[in-house]
Amino acid sequence: MPPDRLSVKFAALADPTRRAILARLALGEASVTELATPFDMSLPGISKHLKVLERAGFIVRGRAAQWRPCRIAPGGLKDIDEWLAEHRRGWEERLDRLGDYLDELQSKEKKRARRKK
Amino acid sequence: MLGERSSEALPKLVLTRVFAAPRALVFQAWTDPRHMARWWGPKGFSNPVCEMDVQAGGRIRIDMRAPDGTVYPMTGMFREVVAPERLVFVCYAIPDNDGNPRLEVVNTVTFAERAGKTTLTLQAVVVNAAPGTETALDGMETGWTQSLDRLADIVVKRASRGRKTWPTEPPSTPAL
Repeated sequence: MPPDRLSVKFAALADPTRRAILARLALGEASVTELATPFDMSLPGISKHLKVLERAGFIVRGRAAQWRPCRIAPGGLKDIDEWLAEHRRGWEERLDRLGDYLDELQSKEKKRARRKK
Repeated sequence: MLGERSSEALPKLVLTRVFAAPRALVFQAWTDPRHMARWWGPKGFSNPVCEMDVQAGGRIRIDMRAPDGTVYPMTGMFREVVAPERLVFVCYAIPDNDGNPRLEVVNTVTFAERAGKTTLTLQAVVVNAAPGTETALDGMETGWTQSLDRLADIVVKRASRGRKTWPTEPPSTPAL
């Protein structure tokens, strides 16, 4: 996936309000008014957050003119998961190498200690 | 995933690994660039440039070179250095065309020793994207602290098992 899209996704998740909106939507669809209630935030304020989430591909919004229910977009988190999995693989490989290197250092030290005896 | 309770809820991953080596040695392997250059990066990669100023605010610069010769530069900065138990450093990832990072990943590494073995725990949290990727929402007050109670959560966890083939008794002093 293009890095731009990925960074848009991470940027969308960087805000606690947006994460809370996603967590709420994970429980089921909701209207803008319903989403705004617990946040003590204006409807335009919430709408801005929803636009960010929508553009990042995390949510989709219904077509009904008055009541545009928001819900979680299927597969919206896939890119994030894939990036994290790749990042994890990178760390696993580093730690494998670190383990080998520590082995190497310690066996050298053992040899050196034996020679001294 | 989504809907799990978490106090942080930013995209993150956690790894744990047990090394049959004393903590001082493992910590040194992370903080001495001569040593880090020997293991940083995927298998087969070398690190022709490995520089670090190991103190809070100190810069990190590592150029990883792939077997095909491609060089992948990485920059970062230490936030906390508590020898020999804890390191916090930021890595800047996914550079844009001008070389500015789009993402910041905060890595917290802890080192705990028990019976001559060291348990290393690494937590990597994606904290930020470069300005410009986010719309101008700064300054909006959320005023909803309870939101911390239920947040979207993305966790990739893998508690690696300890390695199987270890020297039976590691030397008590580091070989560095």
